[in-house]
Amino acid sequence: MNIRRGRTAIVGTGEVPTGRFPDRSAIEIALDAARLAIRDAGIDKDEIDFVIPTTAVFSFQFSNELTTCRLVEELGLKNVSANATVFSGGSSSTNALRIASALIETGRARSILFVHCDKLGTGVSAQGGIDLFSTAGISMEWEVPFGQHYSTVAALATQRYKHETGTTDEQLSAVCVSNRKWAELNPNAYFRKPLTIDEVMASKMLSTPLRAKHSNMLFDGGAAFVVTSADHARELTDQPAYVLGEGGVVTHFAYHQEPDLTRFGWARAGRQAFLEAGIEPADIDVAEIYDSYPIYQLIAFEEIGLAPRGHAGRLHLEGATAPGGRIPTTTDGGMLSKGHIGAGGSVSLLVEAARQVMGRAGPRQVPGCRFAVETAVGGTYMDAQVTILGSDVPRGRPA
Amino acid sequence: MSGATTAPARPRPVVQPWARPFWDSARRHELVLQHCNACNQAIHYPRVACPHCGGGDLGWRRASGRGTLYSFTVVESNAPSAFIADMPYVVAVVRLDEGVQMLSNVVQCDPGELRCDQPVEVVFERLDDEFTLPKFRPLR
Ligand SMILES: [Zn+2]
Repeated sequence: MNIRRGRTAIVGTGEVPTGRFPDRSAIEIALDAARLAIRDAGIDKDEIDFVIPTTAVFSFQFSNELTTCRLVEELGLKNVSANATVFSGGSSSTNALRIASALIETGRARSILFVHCDKLGTGVSAQGGIDLFSTAGISMEWEVPFGQHYSTVAALATQRYKHETGTTDEQLSAVCVSNRKWAELNPNAYFRKPLTIDEVMASKMLSTPLRAKHSNMLFDGGAAFVVTSADHARELTDQPAYVLGEGGVVTHFAYHQEPDLTRFGWARAGRQAFLEAGIEPADIDVAEIYDSYPIYQLIAFEEIGLAPRGHAGRLHLEGATAPGGRIPTTTDGGMLSKGHIGAGGSVSLLVEAARQVMGRAGPRQVPGCRFAVETAVGGTYMDAQVTILGSDVPRGRPA
Repeated sequence: MSGATTAPARPRPVVQPWARPFWDSARRHELVLQHCNACNQAIHYPRVACPHCGGGDLGWRRASGRGTLYSFTVVESNAPSAFIADMPYVVAVVRLDEGVQMLSNVVQCDPGELRCDQPVEVVFERLDDEFTLPKFRPLR
């Protein structure tokens, strides 16, 4: 097998605050994020030779503009050979990075700009958001007629996981509290006031056992990153975020087809990623875990090997995942506290993982962060995507 | 009933032609499952070809209508517009005795009494002239 480990790297990230910005257009958000990423990478804009936008769920018109090269024109990029949208819902970031790395490794591109923005906070009403996510990624024949939507999707996994592992509502709620503690340190996060387990457990019941504060909320926001070859990365910075390994497993389209709603494909995806990276779960310094609902943070955390089955809730309750804890987790506050911006949920987490290994995470910086793992998933948890970034490239067994 | 209501109609299944026998049977209060004659396995939801072996020799068999609650949830708020009037309602993944999973609703029950793995049986609820939905109730 070829050694693919560490052949490409993220060299710059850009992000704007998550929130409700009725006066800011989608393109303004996208351009701000893109320009921040190019500046952070320390490259000239005309070094970008490939642009990968992802879809903005709030507007088909705007997404079409991104697909038809609006970013290239607005940014005045002079040397772009191709502009191609990559979209797989919440796992778009991973798939964009995967494709970008392949293009760079094969010499098809040199410096790739990925951009995401969405306006789900002000571009759609609250009920409109619920209705949008009662059909998006949900089978129109076999699930929509029964009232399936994203709260029930999360609740079905939560109920079964509680049944099989004995995890408590208090432990599930501890995920929200842990992520909030990180958001308190993140100026780009929407929810920054301290949160208690009692507040989470007193919030309105949505779909049993899922409560309002177990649910993400939709906002406006955007982020971008620049990927290049490892050789070029070393010319740009002493501490790039090398792409060390990745793994992915696609499990289903219709949620009820998933044979195990308490595991999904995480274990196999995690094994692939760690094998390729040449490290073990115990080597991880920071875990950026996709957290649209607490249940998914617990499941992925366990299945990729960061804790034994059924132990993740307790670890969150004990503070192991919070600032100062043993396994700093979802350090930008995640979708539960930073806010959910569509495909941007995992873009934020990937950008935060890169910032952590590049030493650029500000007040949230985990000292000496060498290896970060990031998870992403799209649709109704249709795929399990795992990415490992590192500040150096481990030698050892080739993947 | 109070005057004007703007709630959208309940969504009807968007039917693929190869699944038509499932819905036609449901209208007659029969639960049927697609069956692969090559690898002898039940299939749900219906496919153009067997998802197990890829074969195209598919037929239909009447199902037992019995299974267990793999998981369930009681929707108490923030439902999609078309389902607001139905709250509280139960969404469940049912594991049928034939070995396939189905998304449906649990009805004729006290939602607070439901438990994972409890036995359930099919019942039928009319949606309109064309569609009757297979739903489930606790097995008595
Ligand atoms: Zn077959």
